Parts: sequence; C-alpha cells; structure tokens
Amino acid sequence: MKLDTVIIGGGLAGLTAGISLQKAGKKTAIISAGQNALHFFSGSFESMQEAPERAIDLFEEAGIRLHYREGARLMPMGTFRPAVLSLEDVSIFPEGQLPRRALVINFTGYHDFFSSFIAEGLEKAGASCRIRFIRIDEMEHLRLSPSEMRSVHIARVMDKVWEKVVQEVRILLKDEDTVILPQVFGLKDASVPGKIRANIPAKVVFVGTLPPSVPGVRTQQLLRRRYELLGGTYLMGDEVLSATLDGDRVTGLTTRNLQGHPITADHFILATGGYFSKGLESNPEHVWEPLFGLDVEALEDRNDWYERDFAKDQPYLRFGVKTDPELRALKDGKPLRNLYVAGSILGATREDMGIGGGLALRSALAVAETIAKD
Amino acid sequence: MKPNEFDVIIIGGGITGAGTQRDCAMRGLRTLLIERSDIATGATGRNHGLLHSGARYAVNDAESAEECIRENMILRRIAAHCVEETDGLFITLPEDDLAYQETFIASCLKAGIRAERIDPAEARRLEPSVNPELIGAVKVPDGSVDPFRLCAANMLDAKLHGGQVLLYTEVTGFIKEGDTIKGVRTYNHQTHEEGEYYAPVTVNACGIWGQKIAEMAGVKIGMFPAKGALLIFAHRVNNVVINRCRKPANADILVPGDTVCVIGTTSTRIPFEECDTVHVTPDEVDLLITEGAKLAPALNSTRILRAYAGVRPLVSADNDPSGRNISRGIVCLDHEERDGLKGFITITGGKLMTYRLMAEMATDAVCRKLSVNRQCETATTPLPGSEKPSYKEVADTIWAAPTTVQKAATGRLGTRAARFKDNDRYDSALVCECEEVSVGEINAAIERLDVSNLTDLRRRTRMGMGTCQGELCACRAAGLLAKAHGCVEREREDLKDFLNERWKGNFPIGWGDTLREAEYTQWVYKHVLGV
Repeated sequence: MKLDTVIIGGGLAGLTAGISLQKAGKKTAIISAGQNALHFFSGSFESMQEAPERAIDLFEEAGIRLHYREGARLMPMGTFRPAVLSLEDVSIFPEGQLPRRALVINFTGYHDFFSSFIAEGLEKAGASCRIRFIRIDEMEHLRLSPSEMRSVHIARVMDKVWEKVVQEVRILLKDEDTVILPQVFGLKDASVPGKIRANIPAKVVFVGTLPPSVPGVRTQQLLRRRYELLGGTYLMGDEVLSATLDGDRVTGLTTRNLQGHPITADHFILATGGYFSKGLESNPEHVWEPLFGLDVEALEDRNDWYERDFAKDQPYLRFGVKTDPELRALKDGKPLRNLYVAGSILGATREDMGIGGGLALRSALAVAETIAKD
Repeated sequence: MKPNEFDVIIIGGGITGAGTQRDCAMRGLRTLLIERSDIATGATGRNHGLLHSGARYAVNDAESAEECIRENMILRRIAAHCVEETDGLFITLPEDDLAYQETFIASCLKAGIRAERIDPAEARRLEPSVNPELIGAVKVPDGSVDPFRLCAANMLDAKLHGGQVLLYTEVTGFIKEGDTIKGVRTYNHQTHEEGEYYAPVTVNACGIWGQKIAEMAGVKIGMFPAKGALLIFAHRVNNVVINRCRKPANADILVPGDTVCVIGTTSTRIPFEECDTVHVTPDEVDLLITEGAKLAPALNSTRILRAYAGVRPLVSADNDPSGRNISRGIVCLDHEERDGLKGFITITGGKLMTYRLMAEMATDAVCRKLSVNRQCETATTPLPGSEKPSYKEVADTIWAAPTTVQKAATGRLGTRAARFKDNDRYDSALVCECEEVSVGEINAAIERLDVSNLTDLRRRTRMGMGTCQGELCACRAAGLLAKAHGCVEREREDLKDFLNERWKGNFPIGWGDTLREAEYTQWVYKHVLGV
C-alpha cells in the first residue's frame, strides 16, 4: 500500500489530521488499535486560547456543531467548570445567567447520572430544584442484566423513543425555566438533542453521565464517517508492530493484520495518545515511546513522577515525546524528517498548544498544514 | 443505670477489640466499643489475610505455633464464611538449606500442626504457579481469612447481644478517681461532640496505639512498632498459600484471597510517631516483587493493584533491631496487679489468628474484676453469617441474582445474604462490577453496618477492591450514600478522600497498567465528572 501519509492512532488528533489531509487532496490511512479517549469526551474543550475556525468548520462538515461561547458548564458532579468551545449538546451559562428554577430528570434505578449532586450544585448557585424520576417501558429490558443500565445502552433505546421522554417531561414541568437531562441522547441520530430542545418549553441542559460519553462516541463515529467519505482508509482494530527507518526517515510500518505487507508513505503522524492508549509506556525505571523509541521528556527518579495529593497536577502527565518546532519527532536528539507528532502523546512538552482535546485539535491541524504544504 | 454507664468499655475497633466486645457481650455484660476511626483500620486490615497454620512459628516460637493451629481449627468452624480452606506449601528453593525441612516438620508435628512432606512434582501439581525450581515442599493447613469480614461479623454479633459501638470517636482522656479508672472522655470527629462514658473496667485493645492509651491512663507499656509492607496483585495467581521453608524473612508468604493474591511482608522498626502515616517506599516495592517472584515467577508479569503497610503491635522484650525475634505472643496486662491502677486492662501483642483467644483472655480478666462467672462460648458459637444451614445452601435460595452475584454476596455475607433473596431488579443492579456488589447490598451495609463514607463501605462490602480499584463504582456508591445520609456536599468531599486513599496505594507502584488507570482516573474525575 503506497500512501501520502499514514496516521497511527484513530482518536481526536488522528481523525482531525486525517480529515484535513484528505481535504487537501492527500491519500491517507489511519491505523487504529481500538477505542480512544473520545469515548470519555466531556463535550467541551477547556484550553482553547483562540477560536480555531478551521476546527469548527471541520466538525461542521462532519455533522458536528461546535459552538464557541465562554462561560461555565454544569458538570455531572454538580460543579461548574469553564468551557470555551463545546458540542451543541453542552449548554454554556454565561456569567450571571444560571437557571433560577430547574427540573432535574433521571431514570429510575439509573446510578450513573448524579441528579442529587446536580440539584445541590444548582441550589448552591441560587436556583431552586426539583428532582423527578421517570420510567420508560422500552428500556425496562435493560434491567434484566444487573450491569446493562449504562449510558450507551440507554442511548441506543432513546434514539427511538426520545419522544416519550419529552411527553413525561412536559407532564412534570411546572414553572421551571430549565430542564436537566442526562446525556444519553443522539448516539446514532445526532439530531435528537436538538429535537428534544425544540419540543420542551424550557431551556434543556444535557449533563454528562459516567463514561462512556454518548456525545463522545457520536463525535468519534461522525468524524470517522467523514474521514472515510473523503476517501481515507480507517484500519480499525489493527496495531503497528514495528517501524523501519532509513537514516532520518521513516520508510514503513508493519502491522498485525498486514504482516508481510509493510505500509509505506511519504509522511507519518504519531497520534497514539498518552499512557492509557499506550502511546507512552512505563516501567519502574523509565517512560518510553514504544514504536520508534523517540526521545521522551520525563523525570528520572520515579519518586518525582507523582504528587502525593491526587487532586494536584501530576508530573507524570507532563511527560511526552520531544519534537522540533514543526512537531517533528526527535530521536537521539535529532528530528526524524517525516515523522510528526500530535495529540496527548506530547504531554505538556508543547504547552503553547494547551492540553487534552485542545492540544489534540491544534497539534493535528498544525501537523496537517505542514504536511499539506510539503 | 444511666445510658452512658456500662459494665465494660473497650477501646479499639480492630479485631481484638471487636472480639473482646463479642465475648463480653455474650457473657451478659453491657459493653461499649469506642474506635477513633473505622473498624479494621489498623493492623487488622493491613496484613496478609493469612489463616496461619502456625507452621511459620513452629521452629522459633512453639507457643505461638500451638495457639495458631488451635485457633485455625476454631475459625474454620465459627467463621466459615470468612475463611477459605486453601492449604499451604512451605517450599525449599535451590538457594535454601534443605536440611531445615527436617527441623521444620519435626517442630510442626510437635506443635500439633499436620505437616506432610511432598514431592516437588506433587507440589507443582497442587499449585501450578509455584516456582518450578523448588527442591522440596511441605504441605500444611494454612488458609486465608478476610479480616474485614471477620471484624465486622464480631462487631455485629456484639451488637446482637446488646453491645454499643461508637465509631469515629476518639478517647481523649480517662476519668480517674484516685487509683481507679472510672471511665473515658471522648471526642466525636464527625459530630464534634464531647462525651463521657463510665464503666468499672476499661479494656485497652488499641494495637500499637495501645502505648499512647496506656500513657494517657498513667501506665507505661513499651511497644515495638514494626512496619510491614505488602503488595496486592490483580489476579489470583495461586490457589494454595506459598511460604518459604526457611527462617522467617522478607516477602516469603504469598496468600490467595478472593480474586487477588497478596505478597509480604517486610519488617522495619519505625519511630512511634510514624505509626499513623506509614507508607510503602520504592525500595520495599522492589524487594517484595523480587522475593515474591521466587515463590511464584508469574508475579513478575502480573499487574500490581495496590501497595500498603501495617504496623505490628509487638511488645518490646529486648533490643532486637528487626523485631523478628520478638515473640508474637499475647500480652494481657491487669494494670492493678502490674501498676496498681484499678479498672484497666491492656490486651496486645498476638496476631489476627489469635484474636479470639486474646479476646477470651481479656474477657476472663474483665469477668474476674466484675465477679462474673460465665464461661467463654466464642470457640463454639458461630459468628453471624456462619450458622447452619451453611452459607453455600443459602446461596441457592437467592434466585433473583445471577449465579456470580449470588456467589459473591454469600461469600461476603454468609447466611446473612439470605435477606437478598427477595431483591427486585432495582436492588440487583450492580454498583461495583469487579466484585459484583449490588445496590441492595450497598444499601444494606449503609443501613446496618455503621458506614460513614466510601472507604468504610469498601471495608464492609469489598466495593472498589477489585481490578479497577473503584474507578466508577465509587461515584455510584457516593450517589447512594448521599441519598442515605441526605448530604451531597459531604459526599463530594468523601469522593475526593476516596480517590486520595486509592492513590496512596497506587503511586508506590505507579507504572505500566497502574499508570494507565491513573491517567484515566485523572481524566474522568477532573475533566468529565468535575470532582
């Protein structure tokens, strides 16, 4: 297989880079080992120093509406956190515009949505709240197994019967200005959250549940579909086993499913994520990048990797692959000319680009731009 | 008698205190147990969970060995639902002296411990994970015991016999009249209320902290704080306890328990002031893995779940710097005889295995002082959960739950699991998927077992003790606790404490999969949930 660019990692960074390059007329493939951090996506980007118009357009074309609005969003544990760029599902409260009276809706026996925490958080912020539980017959079968009442299972049902939820809410709604619902809508059908909003005579706020994140899973699916519609090849469930190098260039990759058929390309993008996604690996002695053996910025003494207080910023989360200003990977102190790095495998080595989702978007767009110009 | 007057006050909610309260209550005494934190937070919950056969002590400490095997056999009867009868192996590796086996077997048999030399090939068949290079093996009646369950069952039985329990209540001083202890002054860390409780006898069952309590009462006990570090592995690598057949040393016992196994321990003397803040060092972790892998090489490639450390309540006898040569023997002090202080008894030394015997000795001393003449019945009366018909038969009556949940619940609760037989689908929903703990079981624990927070809940139900260490179930349980206690704010703080407690056991082993999980937790709790 001969390609312009091969992207290792099918998460937010990999898909963003892939879509950008396909739009620029390049022939690309994404090698994805499986699920990724989008499945835990909160729905908002917190660290966006500027409005990345290109990111908004790229999502829009995939059928995902992002809105750029600074303010606070209501978190599943009833706290508020700042947000800049968010999915359409996520309601942002500009300063001074919190709900006054809210109706918090949960499903009976659903323990992954924290209605009492949300109500308490709103009350602390000056709102009055009522919590009500509803039952929808079509989801009762989920209770047959003790571990099926989870976000994605419910969402699968809700794509079909969301109108029943609207009916129940309309019966319960009194003088509340705001209705809070769990984020279990629009798994396959992205239009559902909007339809619910249009049919309830109050502001509807969707608040997150325990993972997996329904809007996150939907975002992943829509970005992937967009990428494939643009002609990209998404190799799901494959894994890079080894890479061949010629001097300061990467020449090919061997994957588990295509053994004997090395994948070659002019450019490569490493977007394999942090520890969780195995972009970085660790043992008691050190932290390393497993595919290319790239230079990793990390502290030497294991004692220094952690803060004893879990809530503090953990040093190990700052570790990442070293890059040159163009985001080319460094190996033994020298850049590999055609290997670029994007996403959370960068850790905090590129603080100018933010962290988390913001870092994924910005680094992926930057890398794609450099490659497209080449 | 006023509501704050009792026959006996027991200080300490570990296994010794709980056992003593049970024994006293069964002999008809009005009892009050006071614990400054939660049950089983000291050495009781910070050991191997080994049901010692006594073999480990047979060569050096015949008295402890004999006590162990007697109590071992008693616990199998009275605490069947807390005990797993796994048997144990004492293996000799090429680097060990095979001649020691002779002495070992002879000493075991002398102490009444069934010790059977078996062929190394037979040992490998019995326990496939054992180091294949072993050159000798002896089979003994070791097992495993769940110390949290055992402690909770004792306390529950004490309550069923009229006992009262005050958790999160610290003894701040003694009420003394001349040379007699009349009662205690307390401070409740949750309600911030002070209290006074009276009894003609007070029992000091505070483990290593007993030294401080004794000082407060005006008498001196020299304790020897010996820290022991242990590691929990994420899989049950072995089904039979594996020990080294040599003089006791570091990291030479591997105990299977529930779905995990535990390697330990080290032994380091620590200053008394550090007893409250012991932590596991990287050196200890490295040593435990290296030595542990000699017992079962699979440990080299098995994920570690957690590192923890406890402090043995040894009573100083000499100047031995390691603490290994001090007898693990029981020390029961009547301070009237020893120091001329009336109404005060200290029960210390000993170990998890001999808690019942210690409780019997302490209760005998209490009864002598109160001129009560009732026989001890704890050696023959089963604990709640271990009555007939056996808990295995009870498991079959819980029709509503899937078999795995049935087994998990009856394993934890014994016959008491019968109450879940009428659970509906709402109560059967799982909170903790690793340990299969249902909504019904969590709610029952909150209602009946003095649960204040998530960490207490973990000790009572095993919620959050599995592979993911409470990754998501902590949130579900926090929701249930918030509902039960009617306070969300407290639960939000509780969740933070739970995460910190979890991290305390994780960062000493923070690499590989543990670091992966830690990154995920950071992401979920900070950015997704907003804790």
